[in-house]
Amino acid sequence: MLWSLQVNVSNLSPSKYSHLIGLSIVTIAGFFVTFYKIWYPAEVVFDEVHFGKFAGYYLRRTYFFDVHPPLAKMMLAAVGYMVGYDGHFEFDNIGDSYIENNVPYIALRALPASLNVFCIALMYSIMKESGYSVCTCFLTASLYLLDNAIVAQHRLIMLDSMLIFFMLATVYSYIRFRKVRHQEFSATWWAWLLATGVTMALTLSVKMVGLFLVAAIGICVIVDLWDLLDIKRGISIDHFIKHFYARALGLIAVPAFIYMFWFYVHFAILVESGPGDTFMSSAFQETLKNSAIKMKSLDIHYNDDIRLMHKDTEKYLHSHDLEYPLRYDDGRISSQGQQVTAITVPDDNSWWRIKPTKEISEDEPVPIIHGDIVQLEHVGTETILLTHDVASPLMSTNEEVTTVDLDERYNETLFQVLFDDHNNGDIWQTYMKAVRLVHMDTKVAIWTHPKNLPDWGLGHQEVNGNKNLMDKSNYWVATEIDGLNATEINLEKKKEIKTIPFIFKFVELLGRMLSHNSGLTKPHPYQSNAISWPLLSRGISYWSKDDTKEQIYMTGNVFGWYLSMVGTIIYTGAIIIDTICRRRDVAWIEEPLRRRLIQSAGFFILLWLLHYIPFFAMGRALFLHHYLPAAACNYLLLGAVFQYLFITSVDSPTSDLRRNQSALEEIHPVGPAHAQTSTQAQPTTKTYIIATIILALQFACFVFLSPLTYGSPGLSIDEVQRRKVFSGWDLQFGK
Amino acid sequence: MLRRRWESSQPKEPAVNNVTPEDPPKVLAKKLSPVTLDAAIATLLTLVAIPVRFHTISHPNQVVFDEVHFGAFAGKYIQGTFFFDVHPPLAKMLIALVGWLAGYKGNFDFTTIGNVYDDTVPYVAMRSASALLGLLMVPMAYLTIRDGGHSMLAAVLAALIVCFENSLVTNNRLILLDSYLLFFTAFTIMAFNKFYKQINNPFGARWWTWLALTGIGLGLTVSCKWVGLFVIATVGFSTIKDLWRILGDVRISKGKCVHHFLARTLCLIIVPFMIYTATFYIHFKLLPLSGDGDFHMSNTFRQTLVGNAVDETPIDISYGSHITIRHLATNGGFLHSHNSTYPEGSKQQQVTLYPHRDVNNWWRLRKANSTLETEEVEGDVIGSDGETPLEWIYDGDIVRLEHISTSPRKLHSHDISAPLTDNDYTKEVSAYGFPNYEGDSNDHWIVEIEDGPTEESRERLQSRQTQFRLVHATQNCALFSHDVKLPDWAFGQQEVACMLSAKKPKTLWMIESTTNELLPEPVDMIGYDIPGFWGKFFELHRVMWTTNAGLTGAHPYESRPSTWPMLKSGVSFWARPGTQIFYIGNPVIYWLSTVAVFTYMILWGFFRFLAKTNRPDRFPHRRPFFENAAGFYVAGWAFHYITFYLMHRQLFLHHYLPALYFGILVFGVGLDLVFLRLRPFQRVLVGVLVCSLVIYSFVEFSPLTYGTEWTREACEASRWLPSWKYRCDGYESQLTNHSASLINTDDAISTVIENTLVTSIDP
Repeated sequence: MLWSLQVNVSNLSPSKYSHLIGLSIVTIAGFFVTFYKIWYPAEVVFDEVHFGKFAGYYLRRTYFFDVHPPLAKMMLAAVGYMVGYDGHFEFDNIGDSYIENNVPYIALRALPASLNVFCIALMYSIMKESGYSVCTCFLTASLYLLDNAIVAQHRLIMLDSMLIFFMLATVYSYIRFRKVRHQEFSATWWAWLLATGVTMALTLSVKMVGLFLVAAIGICVIVDLWDLLDIKRGISIDHFIKHFYARALGLIAVPAFIYMFWFYVHFAILVESGPGDTFMSSAFQETLKNSAIKMKSLDIHYNDDIRLMHKDTEKYLHSHDLEYPLRYDDGRISSQGQQVTAITVPDDNSWWRIKPTKEISEDEPVPIIHGDIVQLEHVGTETILLTHDVASPLMSTNEEVTTVDLDERYNETLFQVLFDDHNNGDIWQTYMKAVRLVHMDTKVAIWTHPKNLPDWGLGHQEVNGNKNLMDKSNYWVATEIDGLNATEINLEKKKEIKTIPFIFKFVELLGRMLSHNSGLTKPHPYQSNAISWPLLSRGISYWSKDDTKEQIYMTGNVFGWYLSMVGTIIYTGAIIIDTICRRRDVAWIEEPLRRRLIQSAGFFILLWLLHYIPFFAMGRALFLHHYLPAAACNYLLLGAVFQYLFITSVDSPTSDLRRNQSALEEIHPVGPAHAQTSTQAQPTTKTYIIATIILALQFACFVFLSPLTYGSPGLSIDEVQRRKVFSGWDLQFGK
Repeated sequence: MLRRRWESSQPKEPAVNNVTPEDPPKVLAKKLSPVTLDAAIATLLTLVAIPVRFHTISHPNQVVFDEVHFGAFAGKYIQGTFFFDVHPPLAKMLIALVGWLAGYKGNFDFTTIGNVYDDTVPYVAMRSASALLGLLMVPMAYLTIRDGGHSMLAAVLAALIVCFENSLVTNNRLILLDSYLLFFTAFTIMAFNKFYKQINNPFGARWWTWLALTGIGLGLTVSCKWVGLFVIATVGFSTIKDLWRILGDVRISKGKCVHHFLARTLCLIIVPFMIYTATFYIHFKLLPLSGDGDFHMSNTFRQTLVGNAVDETPIDISYGSHITIRHLATNGGFLHSHNSTYPEGSKQQQVTLYPHRDVNNWWRLRKANSTLETEEVEGDVIGSDGETPLEWIYDGDIVRLEHISTSPRKLHSHDISAPLTDNDYTKEVSAYGFPNYEGDSNDHWIVEIEDGPTEESRERLQSRQTQFRLVHATQNCALFSHDVKLPDWAFGQQEVACMLSAKKPKTLWMIESTTNELLPEPVDMIGYDIPGFWGKFFELHRVMWTTNAGLTGAHPYESRPSTWPMLKSGVSFWARPGTQIFYIGNPVIYWLSTVAVFTYMILWGFFRFLAKTNRPDRFPHRRPFFENAAGFYVAGWAFHYITFYLMHRQLFLHHYLPALYFGILVFGVGLDLVFLRLRPFQRVLVGVLVCSLVIYSFVEFSPLTYGTEWTREACEASRWLPSWKYRCDGYESQLTNHSASLINTDDAISTVIENTLVTSIDP
């Protein structure tokens, strides 16, 4: 229902050829616009820093970590592989030369650029399959083609071109699927259903943003199924369930399989230890060749002397022969016990001996396992770690940590060793396992935080007992065992590379990607708020070159974006007014037209909303290029609104028209008989004039901003100032 | 919200009367009219609630939990000194009113939990007011359910549940805002229900009365806490639904539709807004004096407070003028220096921001290239002595700023990183210089004028007009400050530094006061634009919003919304060895209400499915009625609950209380639905069962609610969920009967323990 009923009118009309001509023209034009000077600049631009580098890592089979799923990066790597690039270049800084470093960057850029040409064709085809006239299709595709933001973004080594390509392909497939819905379970029906599922999975495999597309398709499918359930449709429950399973297979099972498949390939390619190691768990790191962590790790046994490093702050647990002062500055009182602190560089006072609380064999070393209850002896002062219900020096809510003489207050010196991940072996090892030390008596975890004690504590970091046992910052890592050289021991042992099942790797990586993504809150000079995107009040400076005064500044086509917004407002206004009128039994918009507006344009606005609104809820740093998928959807909507405003007719099936005979006569007072069999949207001269004007303005605006899009030619101060359309545009060389 | 439609359109359908439950007090029912009977039952319920809510209300005679804040605010109202809080003022003003009537003078120190109340604090009266409002929720819950057209038994049960809810009791008998909020919320919902009873009698006197009362209730609710906005959303949602029905009823003329629309706009939007602003108007009237809330507010706002207002100052600034300079982006105050040095870095004299007027805020403007003795000035005007020329300072001029009280030290910066902000683009700023030393080019600052209200003030420096930056001449960094306090060695004053390519707002300064004897007569003076009510209103809201969103610090008893409906945690309010007040709900009620809400949602979907596939359901006539009645309360629950997921600030269990009230109402309606299928004696049986479960569990947790005595064993046994973090080791064990407490032998340590247990929440 979100896509209008549509008869195949093409065989009745000459528009078969005109569509072909229109499609060819925009595609060829798109090729030239996208590939224009693609070799320039021959330097690293903006996020090519990341994605170029990642492609290189694939070619070197070195493990890396990124918040985005792997598909698009692997596509880039595949192109690099085909042209013989070995992935040696690090893409360290924006402005590094490709030519000097011998990087086949043109080939790498050609991939997103070619996909952008396909995007243009898809924009046209989506409109065509939705039943819009040649004029509307051509206009929509051309507006997209002449958008500065899209051109700037899609000719560089980044992921957005792949994302939008797969997104549009999904939309296209779904529309094709909806068109054959009356031939249910036919081969074509299955083909388009599966095509939708596959392209949807590919979208999601490029960026997590694909989830918005999944949501949009999901909503449409649910609405569709709900309609099928309607008793008036006369479908039996069994038949309905068949429909349900078909969609579950095509839109859930197949996509899930494809999505995971790319991760499988990802892990299969990246077998060498690399910069991504530290993002992963130690068990994961063990599966990589030459993993550093493996060389350093040793089993820990009772009566070993170890150093304990706090995982978050990287400070070492420490104690020394000084006591807490009786009274703090704020009047609270301490126990006057020996201080326990955390320091940056471990020293002799940072050795802790793990003492058993159970009978252990004295003949051979007994390893410490998950859940063991131990005492920690401070080797330097021969005292035992203790915590008790006394407020810590800096936090009145947390417990003081101190030490007492051996054999004193035994019950308060017992700590349970709990691992972060005890499924992969139960033995405590240096580096491999992070542990929480949970106090048995008062149920607090030994904890430290980046606050320094005053002079009496030598400015060391405070250590205290944290009541929140599940706090993520409770973890400590044992780093060294006194008297043992890990590397030597491990070299002799020659540990084998471990394997863990794919599914565990997949789940772990997915979790890390999600949490890392939401953790990207560090402010960036060119970040912007979601609210500012459609208004284009801010762009992103991608690249600049001082000596030639050239720059790439990513910003949309001002005319096109504002026109899109006007289109959205007209659409929403029309629908609201019509809905209210209908409540009072007045049909403001004729029924067939309304159906078209709700089903086809409604699908587009749903896509736009779902690709835009969720960003408001995101806490991470956001950038203008996050709006590009929404901008593409907005152009689709603009095309639909154009058709509604300037082509006062609609391609509709006869069944609808018969029901609305009276309305039809108003539209076609001359030929209702002809219209009864088929109506063809008939653009008038006025339509063509308006379309031409819109296109001309879009083109003019595109050309005007193109020096910022292509990075050439260089602009004088005056020219830069003139291109500063909004005061928020922080263009280079403006002064 | 069409829930009365079915009832009113088919009131006498016999089939329905068969299933309508006959209420238990049959004998009474025959004698009394339903209205009188309801009133009698409501009164009875109130009487039941009194001992529950007022039991040992004077215990403890110490400051409990957030009484720290709200007790203190009451004192501020009575004394009239300005304070800042993130909540709107109504509830705090009412607390203050009660205190004032009971003779409180506002001079008790509420700063720490556990401070013992003395005779001057009528804390019992203040707590009683809260308790009274809290207990009035009981009869209101009854009337709300009754007005919805449900059976008496269901209504009584809902009211009893409200009465025996531990978290409501704990919270509502203290000097906190929630009982005010909840009272007004419950009142609004009751009034709205009564308004809907008049649905077939639009524009009648009762219709208007209850519509207006709903609006008043909304205004009062939102004036207590912003959570009241969710009540507005609930009522608004239902109202839009009703207007949509009216619009679709083509028998109602267009004009009538507009009337309906306007009446609701007036009563449900304009009236609440007027009440809300009126409370702020009174708030400002009550707090005329400068107080500890000053530093949250902008300089112009502070001018409206007695004790802050500054005199007019000459508008013109020339070389040689003495000036004080205010930082615009923060409320840190004036560019300041004092005779203490940086402990690290250059070890030169500190430069900070200081919020108060002080002799150390004064600086003298000097030309960059002059010597101490002779200021070579060309002059724009002739001074008042008739001979000295005075020269204005224009955009781009290079100046030096000499600190008057430590003269000849001058504002200075150099390539040493700032004291706290340790990065390579932030440089230290100091006051540097000594007698017979002219200083160097690191004392030179370029004046860059940013903006000003008049043409002239954009050309040259003028006090209280020109916004300008001071750019260091050799390092090209701009003088800047931000909301970062220096440690004790700088007396907690705000850091000032010089930042390379700094963002604009935090580098903007303005001259606040100036003196220059040489200014020619008549001297043009300039004052401040004192903000009017609306100016203050909007500024206060901006600050409230940002402060509220910024309450993100960790608190040991904070909880996320996902833990609330199942009551996974509580909050420690107050603790002493052997007794404590721990804020935790009645688990039976939390769990039952949550089950009721989710049952509704599942049934709703299920009935939709039945309708779509044209299968009959078992409640053919009553279904839309129950769907709408419970639907309204479920919507209220959802608005008061789901929205908290969007808040990133620290949250506490008591934020769930309004949602819980709606959940209880859903449960009441749900019971009524269940009763439809039961015989009368079965209904009573179910009623008694629910009631005894609720009361049993209330009694079980009452020692935590009232802070009464308990044993360690009973305490441990009551910990139904391991995540309930109240501590039992403070109670005496039955086994070690009356022996000296095991853990509290040392007095010093026990005070520390108290410190560890309880923390209040707002900063």
